[in-house]
Amino acid sequence: MNDTRFKRHALQLLLAWLALLALMFASLGSAYLSLGIGNAIAGIAIAVVKSAIVLLLFMGLARASAMVRIVAATALGTWLLLVALSGVDYATRPHEPAAFQTPRQLPSLGPTQVQR
Amino acid sequence: MTGAAWPAERPPHADREHAPPAETGRLGMWIFIGSEVLFFGGLFVAYLYGRTHWPQGFAAAGRHTDVVLGTLNTGLLLTSSAVVALAVACSEHLAHRRFVARLLWLTAALGVAFLVVKGLEYRHEWQEALFPGPGFPVDVPGAQLFFVLYFLTTGLHAVHLVIGIAGIAALAWGSAHARRWAAPRHVDAMALYWHFVDVVWIFLYPLLYLVERHS
Repeated sequence: MNDTRFKRHALQLLLAWLALLALMFASLGSAYLSLGIGNAIAGIAIAVVKSAIVLLLFMGLARASAMVRIVAATALGTWLLLVALSGVDYATRPHEPAAFQTPRQLPSLGPTQVQR
Repeated sequence: MTGAAWPAERPPHADREHAPPAETGRLGMWIFIGSEVLFFGGLFVAYLYGRTHWPQGFAAAGRHTDVVLGTLNTGLLLTSSAVVALAVACSEHLAHRRFVARLLWLTAALGVAFLVVKGLEYRHEWQEALFPGPGFPVDVPGAQLFFVLYFLTTGLHAVHLVIGIAGIAALAWGSAHARRWAAPRHVDAMALYWHFVDVVWIFLYPLLYLVERHS
């Protein structure tokens, strides 16, 4: 890496860091607006942009070889496939509350249970 | 030069200095990160399931996490990622290689600061009895599930960070003492792991700290 390229790269890293902090505060600010489902979408969307900055600039995916990019894409693709397949199960299964989700904890063991 | 003459011309220490192609370490770390994506990915799916099935419980519990300390920790990790990226850039530039050790020490220190803040957070939560079990203060179905996932994901993230701090600190020491095992390509691979731990936190931040803050 020559001097000019190093300086350009260092400047890129500085701008990426500032952008990440700005996005963090944007994410924090958006959480205090009443947007309904938009709150969750804004939080996730900003997280996706932030991770894209880290992946492309900090982790060097933008200048990586095809092999490295294929590995990264395969990991993401496999995860999305598993999310979709799990979603099919959970979306079609009836939702019944589990015992531990009742408002109170289970009652303490009374004399009847102890006798058994 | 003929083919037969080549072995004789080879310097005697050539085998000892033989290093794999620069790409190998990076590719290996990416494959490892791929397995880690699926490891943390399962927990994100569990969160998605919980949040879509018990939205009120997740909203009620989400308001009990410490948004100030969570934001501070996000800032610390993002800064540490930028610092370690600069360390990698310096390691690739001969004139700036002397800064590598200092930048790696700074990265490890930011990681330690993150763990200290996380420990303070855990202490507050323990004092408020937010650990799932009898006497849990939020009486809404699903609220305990949120805190199960909170402790599981942040705990596993902290374990990963401890490993990262150990690796980065070792490379910082090795770089300062010009050890061969602290070569730039090793710093590069370790930095990839550090960035991955940062990316996990980038997603944990809105999911754990920014739930229903406006109400």
